[in-house]
Amino acid sequence: MLNYWPWWLGSLALAAITIGFWLLLRRPLGVSGSWARIVGWREARAVARAEAPFRVNAAAMGDALLAATLAEFGEQATFQSLSTSGAGAASPSRAMAPSSRTHWTVHLTFLGTMLLGGFIASTSNGTFALRFDLGSVYTQLFGSGWHSWLLLMLGGGLVGFGTQMAGGCTSGHGLSGCSRLVPASLIATSIFFATAVGVSFLAQVMAR
Amino acid sequence: MKTRSTLEQHFIYGLFGLVLGFALSRIGFASYSQVHRMFVFSDLRLLYTFAGAVGLTMAGFMAFARGHRIPTKPFHPGTIPGSILFGAGWALTGSCPAIAIVQIGEGQLAAAFTLLGILFGVWAYRQVHAQIFHWDTGSCE
Repeated sequence: MLNYWPWWLGSLALAAITIGFWLLLRRPLGVSGSWARIVGWREARAVARAEAPFRVNAAAMGDALLAATLAEFGEQATFQSLSTSGAGAASPSRAMAPSSRTHWTVHLTFLGTMLLGGFIASTSNGTFALRFDLGSVYTQLFGSGWHSWLLLMLGGGLVGFGTQMAGGCTSGHGLSGCSRLVPASLIATSIFFATAVGVSFLAQVMAR
Repeated sequence: MKTRSTLEQHFIYGLFGLVLGFALSRIGFASYSQVHRMFVFSDLRLLYTFAGAVGLTMAGFMAFARGHRIPTKPFHPGTIPGSILFGAGWALTGSCPAIAIVQIGEGQLAAAFTLLGILFGVWAYRQVHAQIFHWDTGSCE
């Protein structure tokens, strides 16, 4: 049963994935962000639609900005500020250029192939088994059947809500962030780990 | 750096998803029993795995990413409460956002409930965030 990788092999694999991901995509690895992009696919579509004319014609963006400035501040104030601050006051800055975000279906591919990876790993070493529980330790702590499923749904809700609120998860904060000593990531990782330790001990005490 | 076409991105993300799912399964991160033993410190293998991964990633970034600006996540009012909620959920489900999917791939169908919960949680946060909180979460792309 215990054919898990030794710790150093696991470390090597995770580090290679994190670094390789950045080298190929120039983007820090983070799974909770993929969830956000998939759940927010409607929003992404709306942004893409709104940006479509600016992709075709960059000058249209400047015109649109100028029109919006005129509507907000009036003609006199706008042209006064244009003449004092020089040319280009109403031209689009780099930050306002149409976004080049990854399409949300790419994130769907990412999560979908992760399922396939788990399937290949478990079928190739004979541990694959269709079952409706999470193994002996889980059943011991939380029982089985519908109320354990309800608890899983609640726990999943906490994972989803919490990772979005914290701005990252084990991969984004834990691996990508901690390895670069990002303060927010170090704080987040130590707190979610400590909480998980506390809740796990509590579950163990309550199950006795 | 040139921008990659969406098809290329599907391919690259798909490759990383496949390898990550495989590795997480082989490491044992998708096993509730293994993860619980890490949290109660009765088996430190996963803890060493994670610590080792952070150390090696640090060395890798030092070697390959010198002079590059990698986006960092900001600290904001949601960092601490969000991490507490996530930690509690991780202990209850044995699952961080990637793991529920890997668990289903291994045939652990109960993780489908975790997955539903995650979808709902992410959706709910987006609703709440837009209305109440106004900080930038800096979540990964």
